[in-house]
Amino acid sequence: MVVRVVRSLRSGTPVARSGLAALLPVAGTAVVLAVLPPIWFGRSTYTTGLAIITLVFASYAVGFNVIFGSTSQLFLCVGALAGIGGYATALFSDSASLPVFVGVLLGTLIAAIVGGVLSWIAVRRSLGVIFTGILTLVFSLAFQNLLLGQRQLTGGSTGHELKAAATTLADDRVGGYYLFAALVVIFLIVFRLIQTSHVGWAFRALRDDETAAELTGIDVSRYRVYAAVVGSAMIGLTGGLYAYSDGFINPTTFAFNQIDVLVLVMVVFGGLGSLLGPLLGAGVFEAVDQLLSSSGQIREFLYGLMIVALFLGFRRGLVPALGRLARRPVVPASPLQPRTDDGPAVPSAT
Amino acid sequence: MIPLLEVDDLTKHFGGLPAVHGVTFGIDDGEIVAVVGPNGAGKSTLLKLIAGLERPTRGSIRLRDEPVGGLPAHQVRRKGITMVMQTPRTFPSLTVLENAMLGAMFGPAHGVIDEREARRRAAESLAFVGLEALADLPVETLNLHQQRFLDLAKALAGRPQLLLLDEVMAGLNETEIRASVEIVRRVRDKLGTTVLWVEHVMSAVIELAERVIVLDFGSVLTEGAPDVVMRDSRVIEAYLGEAQIA
Amino acid sequence: MKAVLLDGIVLGLGFGLLGVGLTLVYGLGGVLNLAYGELAVLGAMVVSLVKDAGAPLALAAVAGVAAAMAAAVLLDLTVMRPVYRQSGEHRVLLGLLVTLGVAFLIEGLLNWRDPLGALTVDIGGGPIGIFGVPMPMSSIWASAITLGAGAILVVFLGATTFGRAIRSVMQDEVGARLVGISPSFTRTVIFALSGALAGLVAVTSAMSSPLTVTQGFDLTSFALIVTVVGGLGSVTGAFLAGLLLGIVDTLSAYYVGQYITSVVLLGAAGLTILIRPRGLLGR
Repeated sequence: MVVRVVRSLRSGTPVARSGLAALLPVAGTAVVLAVLPPIWFGRSTYTTGLAIITLVFASYAVGFNVIFGSTSQLFLCVGALAGIGGYATALFSDSASLPVFVGVLLGTLIAAIVGGVLSWIAVRRSLGVIFTGILTLVFSLAFQNLLLGQRQLTGGSTGHELKAAATTLADDRVGGYYLFAALVVIFLIVFRLIQTSHVGWAFRALRDDETAAELTGIDVSRYRVYAAVVGSAMIGLTGGLYAYSDGFINPTTFAFNQIDVLVLVMVVFGGLGSLLGPLLGAGVFEAVDQLLSSSGQIREFLYGLMIVALFLGFRRGLVPALGRLARRPVVPASPLQPRTDDGPAVPSAT
Repeated sequence: MIPLLEVDDLTKHFGGLPAVHGVTFGIDDGEIVAVVGPNGAGKSTLLKLIAGLERPTRGSIRLRDEPVGGLPAHQVRRKGITMVMQTPRTFPSLTVLENAMLGAMFGPAHGVIDEREARRRAAESLAFVGLEALADLPVETLNLHQQRFLDLAKALAGRPQLLLLDEVMAGLNETEIRASVEIVRRVRDKLGTTVLWVEHVMSAVIELAERVIVLDFGSVLTEGAPDVVMRDSRVIEAYLGEAQIA
Repeated sequence: MKAVLLDGIVLGLGFGLLGVGLTLVYGLGGVLNLAYGELAVLGAMVVSLVKDAGAPLALAAVAGVAAAMAAAVLLDLTVMRPVYRQSGEHRVLLGLLVTLGVAFLIEGLLNWRDPLGALTVDIGGGPIGIFGVPMPMSSIWASAITLGAGAILVVFLGATTFGRAIRSVMQDEVGARLVGISPSFTRTVIFALSGALAGLVAVTSAMSSPLTVTQGFDLTSFALIVTVVGGLGSVTGAFLAGLLLGIVDTLSAYYVGQYITSVVLLGAAGLTILIRPRGLLGR
């Protein structure tokens, strides 16, 4: 069962709060992100650049978290979906001479459709985690090769310089920072609203036990596709805005081992399905990356070591682990005597 | 009057092997009907077919004259048929109340119920089965008996017309069986929910069922009042055959 | 045309062997070893080191295969243990993530030691005519080694007691334990076998074109495509799919171009998942 897989890899308690109170953590995050440049790194173009990268990855990670963290669909095509957004932005605005924002919107739309179709296929064919993973990985690699192969259109491995790029953002890194900070905050609001709506309830149910969810009246397939569409749109939008703000993209920008691996690590590290996990995961990852940057060539090796240690040791993610420390469960006395042992719930038949 | 549930010539083959073969019966509103039979007679498959967890090879299932056979499980649920399985299908990462809330939220026919109302219905339904004191506990802390009751509360919170029970008394002790019989009776008496119930615990069947359908080798062997059916020589033979094999 | 076809068969044999190594491990409890290609590259780099130290080619090749084998065994005895303690899809997912980490680890290590490392195995000797087509000596050697290894593998799995034990573990872990076969020991043997195959493919593929440090991920994805098309867990299927895809690859590369060829191969894997998820010969 997908259920048990993801259950042990993800955060514990669901969110039952609703209304404005539910958005408090997002508001807090927004404030922190807003004040970081003036009180910390606003003067350093280099550090601001790193902060932008962190936010871009956090945006991808939130999108991936919607798809994988919420509904257990292992989408190994985050980079490809972002690439769809990025290249669509570039091609529609440069080659088709449409306004940039139209290009970004079209890119977002196409990414959403592609993600939805992939999910629909996986749902219709009842592909489990592994086959969904392989299917989306195959799509990623095929997309990468298409980008490389269609030179006249994409510029191949030389890449594409966006004529319509945001020159102001390239000069003024802080502007870029706030663009992506706003994006992350918007994504987190969307994520929170989903979490607290009935869709969020359906996600929690189907992630726990698909059959039980179906028996409860939840259309598991529909909610899966829904999550894939929303998450893919987030990823596509991020890719498009990245292309717009950076001004240069090439196939490597969106390659599997440049995006997917990192996003996976960030989200699992932060805690699958948790609200702030992806942002925290991205932050910690980039910080570690900076620490390792002085180690030069051995960096990739250390990454590998980190990934292995992380998955074997911190399987439930950082945020949930901290959460568990903070609230020890209190078990009240009960008339029907809840079990206290850890044995299986099903006794032998009479 | 139209029966609540009509099953006609229901057949399910697994790779050529018939698990359920040409089963036909009807259930009226407010009945408690038990399905019994030796192991492998197709009882659980029958319930799964009705609940939408399996697709029939042939035959029809109608709820108040509306076809529900072959619909996916979630749609069958929203038509008013709910099922409690032998292994309780609860949501382990949620609390007891949240489990029941999901039932209240997504179960009813006319779209999703909002959270406040779902919470109210869930609490009501937990109180009905006597789990209200455990509402905020994680499901993992419940024993099997309690988990089955929770599964029942989850099912009832969606206000079903027909409740399917699949061997829900297996593995329980005497006291727990008595409590379960009592609760099923109250479900019908107080809520008016019709019950179709697969069971191996014969004492419970004789005490509770108003009508018994006996399945053997995937087909209906006989049906009727519990005391009559249990004296039927063919039924005894079917069970004896099983006892000898065992 | 005939020459292209023969080239395709040579390439396909290599693909097949590559796929078999991955599928053996997958058959064993559903773990997809994403570090598989890196094992091959590791083997290749050892061959290159030993060769450069002045050892004869055959010895270097044996050392490389042994190194890949040892690395696979090490993998099994260390990080894979906790993975196999899990069950069901939890194991599948954890296996995927952990081997991905290991892939980075090995690639990082090799990149750090020797970022420009590449293995070229020069066989020498003039081409030999086969069906009227002059085939280079290297292709003949590579095919012969691959066919030999394939034959040994088939005999080992099909006709020896231990081979049958392996296949029984692949089919039913619990059942195998009941009849006295140790799944963990069998697993170690399969990892060793898989590693050896990776090393062997590294050597044979280096006979026709250089194998570089950065090719690990490509090898893994090729193996993955072959296994998916052949049917995850099916040894014969992997061979068959390898042969088929090798021919498709060569024909397509000859007539259409390399990037489109990759898309075609990936498309084949994608279509297999859509139309027949069990693959050509999967269970």
